Amino acid sequence: MKILKLPKEKLDLFASVVQQFGELHAPVEQDGKYVFKRLMRWSDARLEYDRTILPPKKYFLPPRETLFRYRPGEGFVPHTEGLDQRIILFGVHACDVYAINILDRVFAGKYPDPYYQARRKHIAIIGIDCSPDKHCFCRSMRADFVDHGFDLFFYDTGDYYQALVGTALGDDMVLATGSLFEPVDGTDIDDYKRRSWNKRRAFQLEVEIRDLPEIFEMEYQSEIWEELGEKCLSCGSCSMVCPTCYCYDVADHVELGSRAGRRARSWDSCLFASHALVASGENFRGPRASRIKFRFYHKQRGFVAEYGRPSCVGCGRCISACPVGIDVVQVIDRLRRVQDVASR
Amino acid sequence: MLLADEVATHHPVLSANPYQPHLARIVRIHKMVENNYLFTLRFAEDHLARAFRHQPGQFIMLSVPGVGEMPISVSSSPSRPEVLELCVRRVGRVTNALYRMRTNDVVGVRGPYGNGYPMQEIMGNDLLLAAGGLGMAPLRSLLWYALDHRDKFHNITLMYGAKRPDDMLFREELLALVDRTDINCLLTVDADDSGTWKNHVGLLPTLFDHAKIDPLRTYAAVCGPPVVYKFILQRLLDLGFPKNRILMSLERRMKCGVGKCGHCSIGYKYTCLQGPIFTYWDAINLPEMI
Amino acid sequence: MSKPTVGIFGLTGCAGDQLVILNCEDRLLDIVALIDIRDFLMASSENDEGCPLDIALVEGAVLSRRDADKLRAIRQRSKILVALGTCAVWGGVAAMDRGKDRARLLEEVYGEIGLTYDSSPAQALHEVVKVDLGIAGCPIEKEHFIAAVAALLNGDTPLYPEYPVCTECRMRENNCLLIERGELCCGPITAGGCEARCPELRVPCVGCRGPAGDTNVPSFVAMLEQKGFDRQQLAARLRTFAPEGVAQ
Repeated sequence: MKILKLPKEKLDLFASVVQQFGELHAPVEQDGKYVFKRLMRWSDARLEYDRTILPPKKYFLPPRETLFRYRPGEGFVPHTEGLDQRIILFGVHACDVYAINILDRVFAGKYPDPYYQARRKHIAIIGIDCSPDKHCFCRSMRADFVDHGFDLFFYDTGDYYQALVGTALGDDMVLATGSLFEPVDGTDIDDYKRRSWNKRRAFQLEVEIRDLPEIFEMEYQSEIWEELGEKCLSCGSCSMVCPTCYCYDVADHVELGSRAGRRARSWDSCLFASHALVASGENFRGPRASRIKFRFYHKQRGFVAEYGRPSCVGCGRCISACPVGIDVVQVIDRLRRVQDVASR
Repeated sequence: MLLADEVATHHPVLSANPYQPHLARIVRIHKMVENNYLFTLRFAEDHLARAFRHQPGQFIMLSVPGVGEMPISVSSSPSRPEVLELCVRRVGRVTNALYRMRTNDVVGVRGPYGNGYPMQEIMGNDLLLAAGGLGMAPLRSLLWYALDHRDKFHNITLMYGAKRPDDMLFREELLALVDRTDINCLLTVDADDSGTWKNHVGLLPTLFDHAKIDPLRTYAAVCGPPVVYKFILQRLLDLGFPKNRILMSLERRMKCGVGKCGHCSIGYKYTCLQGPIFTYWDAINLPEMI
Repeated sequence: MSKPTVGIFGLTGCAGDQLVILNCEDRLLDIVALIDIRDFLMASSENDEGCPLDIALVEGAVLSRRDADKLRAIRQRSKILVALGTCAVWGGVAAMDRGKDRARLLEEVYGEIGLTYDSSPAQALHEVVKVDLGIAGCPIEKEHFIAAVAALLNGDTPLYPEYPVCTECRMRENNCLLIERGELCCGPITAGGCEARCPELRVPCVGCRGPAGDTNVPSFVAMLEQKGFDRQQLAARLRTFAPEGVAQ
């Protein structure tokens, strides 16, 4: 992999050059929180942010999206507006890039999702290094580093950003800046290693995911699910903010006075009572406890069977977005805890 | 043989769109049972009508334009191509709208989806079909596939039970099978008020008394309401059926049919991709399966 | 095919939902071209008060014998009856204190003469007659009304969100008023569909759309009590738009 470095004071110059590749979006501040937004000026970008309210998935799988327009006689015509818009997401954390890599697999497979694929092709990702806060456990989920899925990735090594060039497009961005980037030497590599070591020690949260699928199977009847079911508000917040929750609902919206209309999808959550409800009235996950169990089970166990790893990347968003304080790390810890057989 | 692959709609941005419904015309609406009509469809485009192939047990996504889309299992056999027969139960918004449609009206179809019955595996063995109530809908495709390729199967037994004769799906067509010698067609009703029913009367499991079944060389395809699974599955296990030779067809909420929308997920399997046909072994290993 | 006949009525309420219909300005002509509005007192002085109706839209809650009689008469002449707005769907603000002694309330407010008034504890429409469709909201969303007309004209029913306000609030990437600012926001238990209009403006949700499809009120209350809210205050807030016991 091509590795270069960019003097920090030249970052704004780089940003101005890179705009020729697409509309620049980056985290901006909103009342002390952060959101990915189109930049009106480079100085609005906040590259030292903790986490954005919504993950970058909103760019690839928008909360609401029209799939088709329908007109009697014409049939279903795909809605393609905006799918080829070139955007550069500047400042994506490793866990979020990792999450996009996971979504890539979900929206590929035997039936690739063309809407997602089109957006993915047109949106560039420039990753940026970060420091963990009290809700981060990406290291435990092995998503604190990524080796693909980005066009460029910047590591903060003090005076420089060390840049990993991930794609040909990333390389074009570097080349477009002329001589802004410099080659790395031994000192830079040592700086990187120091940075990596410091980041590792900064984690405050830790979970063990080895043999977690087995633990989930064994604790399928655990009383913890009932407790969580009593607590959960089914508000869907965790699913909305999760970088790898991809469930969506589809509905037809008919136009006034005709059969014409549009078919649209919107984010859904397995915590909603309707998620597994069929038309005949049978609900395969009626009780709230079974729904929240499904959410944990699918992320931490189901995905392992399907894709070889949990779909949770440890970004901490669900922990900070739950109104009643349901905390995935605590749940896993509790499932792992050895209990006195007599107290079971 | 996937329609979505064969007729990928070409578009500058969306090269192949698995969500693209293809227009199909309703060519026949046949009232089989109250609120259970058989809709016969034919793709508006001739080449689609000819190219469409499915496996018994697969389903399609049916669009009622302006109302919505839903999964429906295909009731016709791939051995009788060119039209699609769908047994649709009137239960919700979309099916209500479908029931208001007439012959020649246009709907949307995409698919086929799901695994279907493992035909290669079943061939060369005995086949037992056991259905209760509306469970006959997905099994009917398998039934006719087997009868149309009769030499590929050994003994074929059908056990089908409904509440009353009037509740029996495909009644006339199945009654015509009773006298055939190449299938043991056993039909029963829980009760017969009409006094005209000439077949069995009694609950579905009682039909086992009239069937000769070798559990080690038979595949059993079971479909029906939960009560059918409860009694038939136990009976099959008691007979000594291996758990992976009992095949079940499951129903789940689906919005995409292609493993994306998440609704039909059970534990870590998607009913739309790895199902809707699951073995009994799958069923007991996945939570909330039945 | 003749246009379906429609009546739009108000029981006890603020008429805000009927106003939303009149405020559909740009769409109003389209709507009127498709339906035959026969009875709409708020908008017209010439009404056919007895004709059979294909669709009746009824706003407000039932607060008197007169309301109840009027509603029954509307039901009798209509094929489809739509409850319009949170008062009609859930009882709304007027139902806030419906458990209290009615006679005492009337006396307190109007004096002795109050006892002679035709006044009864507020009821949602479905507690009095069969309701075919409810469009909640205080007031209703313009788009929901248009979607209802569009669907009903085709013989279908519209779909409205059952998920809570939080879902849309998160989609819009608002800061959580409950978590970040410790405010009494009813988002988690209130039906969405409003695109989290209030939290978007940093105003906590007061629950004006009535309960979401699946609510966990005990956990919601326990969480707020832990934040220091007083139980009485919470009960009052929760009762504001949908009193206890108005199951749909």
